[in-house]
Amino acid sequence: MNDIRHKAPAELIPDLSAGDRARLDELYERLSAATAHCVGYPCSGVFDYSELDRFMRLPINNVGDPFGKGIYRVNTQDFEREVLSFFADIFSAPKDAYWGYVTNGGTEGNMYGLYLARELLKDGMVYFSEDTHYSIGKTLGVLGMRSIMIKSQPNGEIDYEDLEETIRIHRDMPPIIVANLGTTMTGAVDRVDRIRDIFDRLALKRYHIHVDAALAGMIMPFVTDPDPFTFADGVHSIAVSGHKMIGSPIPCGIVLALKRQVDRIARSVEYIGTLDTTLSGSRNGITPLILWDAMRRNGREGFRRIVVGCLQTADYAIDKFKEAGIEAWRNNNSNTVVFPRPKGPLPEKWQIAVFEDIAHIITMPHVTRDMVDGVVADIAELSQ
Amino acid sequence: MKQITIVARRDLDLLARVSQVLADRGINITSLDSENTGEHSIIVLTVEDYDEALAVLRDEGFNAVSEDAIVVRLKDEPGAVARVSRRFAEAAIPLRSVRIIERSGGYGLVALATERTKEALELVEDIRVS
Repeated sequence: MNDIRHKAPAELIPDLSAGDRARLDELYERLSAATAHCVGYPCSGVFDYSELDRFMRLPINNVGDPFGKGIYRVNTQDFEREVLSFFADIFSAPKDAYWGYVTNGGTEGNMYGLYLARELLKDGMVYFSEDTHYSIGKTLGVLGMRSIMIKSQPNGEIDYEDLEETIRIHRDMPPIIVANLGTTMTGAVDRVDRIRDIFDRLALKRYHIHVDAALAGMIMPFVTDPDPFTFADGVHSIAVSGHKMIGSPIPCGIVLALKRQVDRIARSVEYIGTLDTTLSGSRNGITPLILWDAMRRNGREGFRRIVVGCLQTADYAIDKFKEAGIEAWRNNNSNTVVFPRPKGPLPEKWQIAVFEDIAHIITMPHVTRDMVDGVVADIAELSQ
Repeated sequence: MKQITIVARRDLDLLARVSQVLADRGINITSLDSENTGEHSIIVLTVEDYDEALAVLRDEGFNAVSEDAIVVRLKDEPGAVARVSRRFAEAAIPLRSVRIIERSGGYGLVALATERTKEALELVEDIRVS
């Protein structure tokens, strides 16, 4: 019986030199050490995808629409659709009426959401808070969309009064909102219900709400008192990162949108001779497997346990900071612990992000209480 | 000669630090205006190598605004940005983007970008920083 599995002929693959191998060993040690001390960035280090190693030997490409039909068969689009189905479920997307794909990360997901909004509302104006991730500004430049930055409140949440006053001035332009589900520095949430109240008061019928749920998209579905952020709450598109709370050696994410809206813009794409409505064309086929693996291992209950653990570690960190005389705090449903920026330079090993007067640690799944103790001790020393 | 505006929370060393960064890269400053207003420090300068200077300043963490944008100073209160954008709406000058650069001491510095910069400059003459 013939073995139909692909095996690359070893004689056609040149060896790495001993020197190159040594460099890779060195790099691995460096990255492992850095991961063990990472408390400032929202990337989980708790994963093991070794079950998927064999797929690294295949030329996988998920080119095109994961719901479409392509000629290239070395793809994982059936697994990708399962992943999307999981996210559609936790984001309360209407059954069989959503569309999306696995992206290269949050930025691509946000770009897709804004691209969709631009195509649907050609005369729209984008509003986003000053605490929004910097990549939104970059994306707006790429897409050539008009935009106004809105003030934030001290906790990082958008200032609704400023938003309402600004939209009122531009009532002739349909608003496109980038709402944060967990801002970068403080984990604050821009409340979709309050934004929709503004639209109601101003009698605005045409609008688009895109949610940047990079980190908290994998927190909010698993807490007991979630802020409104789902399709059932009135959002039109949502982007979440896969390499943050879930964890992945390759950056990735998911974008989801309403199918009826995607279909409207797909028609215009069809006009130019292609049905691929994704932004990237050739697409990663390994990351959908990674997300599928995590999804199958953890399920909703597993993710809930992870999130509860992260929030408990965040509370532990706040207590420890306070014991050390440092006023730390967090937003509700956020594992981002904010504290005053110390005067001296922060120890590099913890990789702590700072912005203006504040700094933060993010209690991701790999952040232990021992690590928190170490960080607090170092910060306390600087603050004395 | 194109101009660069650098804004920061009140920082009496700002001028020295900016000059040093540019000098280290061998970039000549051809004109310079420095001002400390309330809680903000503002420097407006022109240089011989505009693109490099802008890149260097941003790499060093300065809030450096290119001359594609107009910087205005507003009271930090709800609707302040809205009132400026109303001026543009009433004058039928489309705004491409509005960005808050810095907020402190009850005032904010905001960068406005439009395709019609010359007319826009007149429109915000009373609140313009650069």
